[in-house]
Amino acid sequence: MIENFLAGSAALFGDPFTIGIFVFGVIGGMLFGAIPGVSMLTLAAILLPFTAGLDPAQGVMLFAVIYCTGTYGGAITAILFNIPGSAENAPTAFDGYPMTQKGQSGKAVGAAVLCSAIGGMASALVMMTATEPLANWAIRNIGPPEIFALVFFGLAVASTVGARTIWKGWMSVLIGLLIATIGQDPVGGINRYNFGFTDLAAGIAFVPAILGFFAVSEIFVQAEKKASGKYKAPKVSMTFPTFLELWLHKIAVFRSIIVGFFCGILPGIGATLAAFMSYGEAVRWSKKPEEFGTGKLEGVISAETANNAATGAAMIPLLALGLPGGALTAMMVAVFQMHDLQPGPLVFMLSPDLIWIVFAAMFYANLSILLIGVIETKTILNLLKIPFQFLAPLILMLATTGAYISRGLVLDVMIMFLAGIVGYLLRRTGFSIPAIVLGLILGEIGEQNFAQGMQMVHYDLGDYFSRPICAVLIAAGFITLGSSIFRAFTSAKKSV
Amino acid sequence: MGQLKRTHLIEAAIFLSIVILFFGFSFEFNQPIEIYIFGATGWPRVIIGLLFIATIGNLWFQYNHGSASQATLGQSEEKPDFSAPGTIPRMVTILGTPFIFAWLLKPVGIYFSAPFFIAIIIWLFGERRWKAILIITLLIYFVFIGLFLVILNAPLPQGNMSPFYDFSAWILKINAKLQGI
Repeated sequence: MIENFLAGSAALFGDPFTIGIFVFGVIGGMLFGAIPGVSMLTLAAILLPFTAGLDPAQGVMLFAVIYCTGTYGGAITAILFNIPGSAENAPTAFDGYPMTQKGQSGKAVGAAVLCSAIGGMASALVMMTATEPLANWAIRNIGPPEIFALVFFGLAVASTVGARTIWKGWMSVLIGLLIATIGQDPVGGINRYNFGFTDLAAGIAFVPAILGFFAVSEIFVQAEKKASGKYKAPKVSMTFPTFLELWLHKIAVFRSIIVGFFCGILPGIGATLAAFMSYGEAVRWSKKPEEFGTGKLEGVISAETANNAATGAAMIPLLALGLPGGALTAMMVAVFQMHDLQPGPLVFMLSPDLIWIVFAAMFYANLSILLIGVIETKTILNLLKIPFQFLAPLILMLATTGAYISRGLVLDVMIMFLAGIVGYLLRRTGFSIPAIVLGLILGEIGEQNFAQGMQMVHYDLGDYFSRPICAVLIAAGFITLGSSIFRAFTSAKKSV
Repeated sequence: MGQLKRTHLIEAAIFLSIVILFFGFSFEFNQPIEIYIFGATGWPRVIIGLLFIATIGNLWFQYNHGSASQATLGQSEEKPDFSAPGTIPRMVTILGTPFIFAWLLKPVGIYFSAPFFIAIIIWLFGERRWKAILIITLLIYFVFIGLFLVILNAPLPQGNMSPFYDFSAWILKINAKLQGI
């Protein structure tokens, strides 16, 4: 393995043009991840046509690097503005943004830099050693019933996150699932809920929805505070966490790497569920769970370690099975196809050089988060000094372009602003935006895998429980659901 | 009425309307799928049923506990405040402006409408110094044009109504000249 890694590193750093692409990917991923309202997906979508002129290894490597650094970049906006760059950064905002409000933004961003790098590098190392054996294991053990069971578990966890009451948590998840049913059904291709709009036949695009629910609704919340005279500018701080503070969270880091890696390896699930589950586990293992959501460093550490740990793992189903785990890995399939290649087991035999350049680039990209992240982050922290009345139109303009550019539809811009209004109203009445978005992302994956799973077991639900992984995940989902049902009927914290 | 407030009833009415609307529209695509016995309506109707139960449960909770909260993860403790005079009309304007901007993108295009939109948003956010509004509007507009038109050559809405379409064409022509295309 070491020889292969060194050969990949030599190929990566032996050619100035390849180095240039690597550096562009690192900085571009971080910047686009960090600019509020625009994500790494926007950059990847813009760059996709240009990869046709690159070597296959350079093209895939560029996307892998953007994936690593963009996942970290999204944490910066989640912490500073409560606007996650993408869904996998949503749990980072739960504690990161309260830390910013307390004047500890530097500490939160510093923890995100370090933990993203640690999670990503650990994941890259495990990816290099374990890709082939894990791919073989997954081929034998993970099928549609297991993926559906994981979606069920993930949604059960998501319903307990971010809403004012358990009931509103469930309603949030269900609204997300209901929005996900708009468009063609994944089995028969029958149009559902297009309400006469032909553009809705393809469903609600994820990019405008997430931009609306997170970025635009946050602008409206800040506007409300401005209008009512309650707006407080976030406090800028440059104090990064001490080594001792981070060392005290070593178990959380280790646990998050494991959670992140195992969630990331499953096709279609990836970093989002990894971050949510890792955050949920941090709360479950904590002696003071009530402190989460109020600005606890462990919340940021858990979410950021896990989502970056998932990036390396997400490459395993892509490279070993040809199954993309998310939007960005799906674009990587397109890069392969542009060069007449098909990701899958054959790539290991036909293009081992490509695989090891990608592996080496991902390792160094995560290392770069440490080196470049600290310098760039200090520049981005200065964004907080810009008055919000000047930042808001910039964010809205970037969000408008981000929503339009993916499909070239004005309808997507309207959907984004509609999602922003709905998101604002739901946030102000105690609903959970991350739960809605998770329902939206996992809805189609859940339905598709449920349908395939039911066909596999000939509509006998009992067969789901004869599959050990599936049984464990469904049982875990029911336990989570059971405990939240108990709390829904018994607990009421305070009247307001 | 227990501890129910008018806002709770409005909230329940909205969610029940969504349930009724989506259930009603589900009959439009109620077709069997040969390879799947639950058809295209199975999954959405289960979600609709669960949403109905959750809405009734939420109403029951509010009947007993009013606007109390429960110990969920990462919930925001912030509450909306519309008590200051003029907050509600200003919020309605702020919520409506981006939607009007989006609606105008097709006929007017982004190149013409963007500076007006930027200036209005700055004004709605409370800035009253006209020089600051003008300078920041132009700055954001040129950053936006520089990034998406000059550097990335991204295809953006140009409008389909004269003279707005002509204005977009003029901007694109200048960009092409500058880049020697």
